[in-house]
Amino acid sequence: MSKKLIKIENLHASIEGKEILKGINLEIKEGEVHAIMGPNGSGKSTLSAVLAGRDIYEITEGKVTFNGKNLLELDPEERSREGIFLAFQYPVEIKGVSIVNFMKAAIEQHREHKGLEPLSPAQFLKLMKEKKELVEIDSKLTNRAVNEGFSGGEKKKNEVFQMAMLEPKLAILDETDSGLDIDALRIVANGVNKLRNEHNGFMVITHYQRLLDYIVPDVVHVLYDGRIVKTGGKELAFELEEKGYDWIKQEVEG
Amino acid sequence: MALKTKISKDDFINIFKKEDDEVLSYGKIKENALKVLEQKEVPHKKLEEWRHTSLNRILQHKYSPAEFRPLSKEEVNLFSIPGLDAYRLVFVNGFFLPELSDIKSDEKGLIVMPMYEAKRKHKALFDKYFDKSGIQASNFFTALNSAYASNGSFIYLADNFTSNKPIHIIHFSDGQARKTVAQYRNLIVAGKSSNAHIVYTYHSLSLNYTLNNLATEIFVEDNAHLNFNIIQGEGVDAAQFNYTKVIQESNSNFSMHTTTFCGLLVRNDLKVLQNGSNIETDLNGLYMPDREQHFDNSVFVHHAKPNNNSNQLYKGVIDNKASAVFYGRVLVDKDAQKTNANQLNKNILLTKYAKIYSKPQLEIYADDVACSHGSTTGQIDEEALFYMRARGINRRKAETLLLTAFVSDVIEKIQIEAIKFYVQILINNRLKGEKKDAQCLMIDECPACD
Repeated sequence: MSKKLIKIENLHASIEGKEILKGINLEIKEGEVHAIMGPNGSGKSTLSAVLAGRDIYEITEGKVTFNGKNLLELDPEERSREGIFLAFQYPVEIKGVSIVNFMKAAIEQHREHKGLEPLSPAQFLKLMKEKKELVEIDSKLTNRAVNEGFSGGEKKKNEVFQMAMLEPKLAILDETDSGLDIDALRIVANGVNKLRNEHNGFMVITHYQRLLDYIVPDVVHVLYDGRIVKTGGKELAFELEEKGYDWIKQEVEG
Repeated sequence: MALKTKISKDDFINIFKKEDDEVLSYGKIKENALKVLEQKEVPHKKLEEWRHTSLNRILQHKYSPAEFRPLSKEEVNLFSIPGLDAYRLVFVNGFFLPELSDIKSDEKGLIVMPMYEAKRKHKALFDKYFDKSGIQASNFFTALNSAYASNGSFIYLADNFTSNKPIHIIHFSDGQARKTVAQYRNLIVAGKSSNAHIVYTYHSLSLNYTLNNLATEIFVEDNAHLNFNIIQGEGVDAAQFNYTKVIQESNSNFSMHTTTFCGLLVRNDLKVLQNGSNIETDLNGLYMPDREQHFDNSVFVHHAKPNNNSNQLYKGVIDNKASAVFYGRVLVDKDAQKTNANQLNKNILLTKYAKIYSKPQLEIYADDVACSHGSTTGQIDEEALFYMRARGINRRKAETLLLTAFVSDVIEKIQIEAIKFYVQILINNRLKGEKKDAQCLMIDECPACD
């Protein structure tokens, strides 16, 4: 039986006094891919930000257990080192900091957390090279400053590259498909698929079914008005694509 | 006039007084300096140029003249710059230390020696340049310096001479458990088509209220290339007034980097007069005040002739309750057509108590010029910080990466590799959270130094 990765219980979160998440319950096991779908404003991005440790949200109720630890007590950097990875919907430009230096700092702190010796410069560069090839990212990209002047596609590829470097237990993909053309989407999805294995899990947040053609989910949840209102197999995604979200709204409100 | 300080102007001046035969200036120059001193007020906040730099916490102390103390080679070496092979002069409390210095005295090549000695040994050169830049009339402190300074460094590059090594002038302050003052007067002459790199570093040996009043005149003759660096790291109770006046002739290139790490109150005045054509002036500064320190850079470039360029890039990282001033002024005379002048000041405030007063100013009387100026002040980018933390990088390391990136362009402009490396180490140590009270520029940990 596969192990539990994350358990979210009755999670409530608000921003500036406005409640966005109104009691989320969700459990992901090792080896599983869960898709979170839902209309705009349903709380999808809030859920990913809260799990990554964004402190602009206030957690008013609930519990999140990750790896047997109380996730909500950890700083964002501790969550990352424990194995949470958020692929940002809008990756941030960091002027003047090269991807190499950025990843070097991250890998160093991840290894320190695990009680491992730092990598030698040669080992580090070898790791970079391997992961770049794995996720098919242009070699020149990593010599540039983090996301500075990157196209939408390059930014998303860079997220997948970082994911490959850090090898998280749970990767949260926040609308990774937004702003991607079909070729970029395929490369990004291929990268994700190569990183899938029986020990990690994925939470794929998306508005459209399109991405799920490439990253096939085990479970699909529909988030609406801060709650998961429907859960099903991958066929649920097709149903949503066909019928839109209105029937869900009617079901919930009607 | 009534100053809101405990010490009167006359009492303050008296601390700096020296016997006539000890003082560098004499005759008309000395007379004039005394006259200017009489007219000038001790700077206070009602004077436009001192609006944001209050001297109250400096002038409330009872100072006395700094005294000589011997210094061992080992002590000096603690402050050496890794990889810098330079001709050097070492001063402590205004006194010259010959046994720790390399004196050069070749009128056809290089002269590096203390001023009082240059006044005797190279009198013609001394008289030709000393106090000829108009520095004494600049403010109260420069007048005080012209009237009573008794030593400092003299650097002369003969025409067509290229120095094979940088010249490093090291200043130490030690109040020796008292509150002391010292003055330095420097004169640098870069003869026609000469070329050199010069570094001045400032250190404290102990934690005392000290006050250094410095005035430096720099003459950059036709086609000369002079690169001038100042690194300031005196103790957290040390005040420094550092006035530099530069006169550049045609086809010359003058570049300067002022890096201020530590001190209680540091005021840097830099005035450049472009007195010819096809001149390049490149002025850069980095200031990183912490705690309740106050660093002030007042920069003035005077484009008096046509076809000249000037560039200013000053950056500040201001921590805790510290404050900084950037007052940059570019004056383009009516005749100075085809002037190209750029001025940029950027700051990051690390806390809500940190302060910056930034005033870039262009005054243009010519009609065919390309000038720009700008000033920005911001905080650490919280979005970037979260992004980095979400990758497992802790807050301090993330801040260090962001701030290192912020200052990188101004560091890149440092021309001496050893100095660039040294400044990078000092910045890293500072950003790692190392705080030193006195010996700010001492490197404890330098993995790549050996």
